[in-house]
Amino acid sequence: MNRERAAARDRGRGAAAVVLALALALSMAACSARPPSIAGQQALRIGVKADQPGLGLRLADGRFAGFDVDVARYVAARLGVQPDHITFVPVTSATREKVLENGSADMVIATYSITPERGTLVTFAGPYYVAHQDTMVRADETAIRTVHDLKGKRLCAAAGSNSWERVTQELGIAAKLVPAPSYSACVAMLLAGKVDAVSTDDLILAGFAARAGPAVRILNAPFSDERYGIGLRKGDLSGCEAINRAISQMYLDGTAARLLQKWFGQAKLQLDPYVPQFEGCG
Amino acid sequence: MRTARGRIRALAAVVVLATAGFCVVASIAVGNARDGFRVIGHDAGPQVLATADLYFALSDMDSQVAGILLTGDGNGLGSGPQALSRYSLDRATADRAALQAAELSAGDPAVQATVRSVLDGLGQYERLADQAMVLGQQANRSDGPPPAGVIAVYREATGLMKSQLLPQAYNLTLADGATVREAYEAKHSAVSSGRVQVALAGLAVLVALAGLQIFLAARFRRRVNFALALATAGLIVVGISAVRLLSGEAAQLQLAKADGFDSILTVSRARAISNSMHADEIRFLLDPGQADTYSLDYLDTSQTVLYVPSGNLVEYYTGLGAAMRAYQANPAAVSFLGFYGQEARAHPGPGLTAVLTSFRQVQADDQLIRQLAGTGHSRQAIAVLTGQSAGSSSYDFDRYDRAVVALISLHRQRFDQAIRTGDQDLGRSVLGSWAGLVPLAGFGIALLVIAGVRPRLAEYR
Repeated sequence: MNRERAAARDRGRGAAAVVLALALALSMAACSARPPSIAGQQALRIGVKADQPGLGLRLADGRFAGFDVDVARYVAARLGVQPDHITFVPVTSATREKVLENGSADMVIATYSITPERGTLVTFAGPYYVAHQDTMVRADETAIRTVHDLKGKRLCAAAGSNSWERVTQELGIAAKLVPAPSYSACVAMLLAGKVDAVSTDDLILAGFAARAGPAVRILNAPFSDERYGIGLRKGDLSGCEAINRAISQMYLDGTAARLLQKWFGQAKLQLDPYVPQFEGCG
Repeated sequence: MRTARGRIRALAAVVVLATAGFCVVASIAVGNARDGFRVIGHDAGPQVLATADLYFALSDMDSQVAGILLTGDGNGLGSGPQALSRYSLDRATADRAALQAAELSAGDPAVQATVRSVLDGLGQYERLADQAMVLGQQANRSDGPPPAGVIAVYREATGLMKSQLLPQAYNLTLADGATVREAYEAKHSAVSSGRVQVALAGLAVLVALAGLQIFLAARFRRRVNFALALATAGLIVVGISAVRLLSGEAAQLQLAKADGFDSILTVSRARAISNSMHADEIRFLLDPGQADTYSLDYLDTSQTVLYVPSGNLVEYYTGLGAAMRAYQANPAAVSFLGFYGQEARAHPGPGLTAVLTSFRQVQADDQLIRQLAGTGHSRQAIAVLTGQSAGSSSYDFDRYDRAVVALISLHRQRFDQAIRTGDQDLGRSVLGSWAGLVPLAGFGIALLVIAGVRPRLAEYR
């Protein structure tokens, strides 16, 4: 008789277990259908520039340093990633979309201006800073005060950058373009007297100015907004929202102001220690 | 003898336990639906609207100040003292919307800190704006850019607005949008899977009930146990209506989110950014020293609202015209991006068409203004900006803004309707609200089961 009672109990338990297992299987199926987000990951591979002083630069010992790198560390910490679980992946302007697409980087923080075209390929968190296009000249140059004075002057046109187009096309200023392979080459040409001006984001100029010392001068006549975003795999909305919260916090707790001062304080730029207007994730 | 009695007891216990399980599963699912409607319909949803109002009022204050400074008589772009009273009205709206956003945030410290910071900055902005307007009046001049001293103060004011106040207000809206999205994803999937769980749990009770009845029928040679039959019928009714309720709730939640909330958020952001865009047009005429910056800002904001590939404004006007013609010819093929691209893909309709038509007119006015200003006809350019008839920028922009507001309220109606339906269905069952009905039904079924087996157990005494 005891055995029978036990059998009845077992049958009941069996039924309950079946129901429970079914429910569990269903809810697990619902979870795994969602694509993976960077929010909640234990380790992150972050794409940064390797050749941009002040923003993302690979040092001789292989470590990365710069404003973007520090922002990456802060954001990763806010996402709950330990510092030794961050891997920095060097990217160039041309490879930023590719590394996200093929999965070799989870996010990209590399002077990555948010544009509507790029927005169709990647999801942008941020911007974490709004840089402004400005112009750098030799320190003894007195004829160039605003971007309009570039008319007839030799302006460096770095490959892969669209900054010079803003001058000649958007503003319609007839500068003489001198092609160069990169901005470091542009700065060298400026110092050698082969061009009269280099025009691009003020943060990039500030990084070079810190190296070139008193030989160059930034006009401090900004004329456009470059919204530096954090690129994520297209559609990672929860990751994007988590990063936006981290960026808000970075401005709220004073870290942003400190980092801007640390990397660009010497350049006498007008730095904005206020949280930028976000792009929105959706 | 004791064996049969024990088996009846065990079977009855299984039924009661399964019923309890059914009630727990159903209560959780109903609770998830209720939470979803609370967050989306009553907390974060309305908060999005409040913060969008805040952004708009702030941005409009700055356009009114720019307009007042640009016109020599200090009357702004409206007729008579309209601009000043609109400025005060915006100020009041901003205050109210900020407080409402703080209230609705239910003590979220980040929101509270941001609202405080906006209100502090607003006080500072007002002092600068007042100073600029007083200086502008003293200058006693005709329409056109005011003296450098006035411009310098205005630059400080508008810089504060653009770099500090507006971004904070905008980010508040986005944060609410994120809250709604997260709540929606979690609750919608919980309600959908809750529906399946309720069905399975109900099925388990049915199986147990059937087992009990078969056992009793076999043992006592009676076909129907009335109480157990009643319990079975009750369970079927409650189970089916619970599943139907949850399906309906999931559908209403989806409707409120996709048809209402998403579009409200998109079009409200478009309205906010459009206002900044219009302000950049006024600033372009007001402050020739910064005209380049304001032109590039104008292009940027226009592209945020409606994007067509273009390197400068002239290309933008052309591209916009082509994109609009293509859209009219075939509304199914949307060639543009930006907020209106998003809306055109999700919810095309006459409301959006009216918005797009008037947006194109606003851009046509802008083109004329820049042409005039670029050829040395600043006075005519200002006349096109300030005129109060069709073909002048202020008038056409107001018309455009009204079309945008109409589109927002259209989605607002759909949103409210879905939330109302969802709320009503949750509160409406044969026995009052669903939250109360589920445990009551469970209790009733358990009682009937006990009533059904007690006489049989008594036969063994």
